[in-house]
Amino acid sequence: MKSKYFGITALLVILMLNIIFTQKMVHQYYFENYTNSIILAGLNILLFPIAILIFKKDQKGVK
Amino acid sequence: MNDKNNKIPFNEDNYTHNIDRNNERRLDRRGFMKTLVGAAGVFAISSLPWGAVAAKELMGLGDKEYPHKKITDVKAIPIGNAVDFKFPGEHDDAILIRLSEDKYVAYQSACTHLRCPVFWEKEKGEMICPCHHGKFDVNTGAPTAGPPRRPLPEIQVQVENGAVYAVRVKRYEV
Repeated sequence: MKSKYFGITALLVILMLNIIFTQKMVHQYYFENYTNSIILAGLNILLFPIAILIFKKDQKGVK
Repeated sequence: MNDKNNKIPFNEDNYTHNIDRNNERRLDRRGFMKTLVGAAGVFAISSLPWGAVAAKELMGLGDKEYPHKKITDVKAIPIGNAVDFKFPGEHDDAILIRLSEDKYVAYQSACTHLRCPVFWEKEKGEMICPCHHGKFDVNTGAPTAGPPRRPLPEIQVQVENGAVYAVRVKRYEV
């Protein structure tokens, strides 16, 4: 069984990745590597559904 | 009496209204997780405009040509002096420096650290950002001291009929 803090840990990791991607995205934009910037923006957006998924999974585990 | 207060509260499964008014100081594990998911959403939405402008830049890739813009007359700028101008847009501050008889350099003067205006220090022969003492090399625009890490975007200039014109903004070499 997963620990009851698995969800929180995963979400905190996601938040950390969000911060890293955002920082990189802005920097890559100003360095004019626009492709990298778009990729990082995509990753940032992708993290949101993953976060929701983790939240939903956690709810099922509790009930 | 109405039975308004007699109902079982519905299961509030949403990401925004996660504050229970009667219990607002309490943040349980689930509430905390909701906040984290909400934060991920904010990050996702806030990266949309960056992706959009990057895509826009990518579509119009290559050397963008702007209408040539007259900066100043050659006579009006003595050697070693600088003149401020705007290029390519009305709000893009830029600086032209005359280094010798026919050597001109121009940069977009927003510091690459936090976009303060960069000034030309004639006596010291370097470009200085007064906000955090960032310094730039006048020949290349490369940062030499202080917080900035990225060179100033260079503007190509052209001398024609006794006047200096701004031609285009150089792209960074990858």
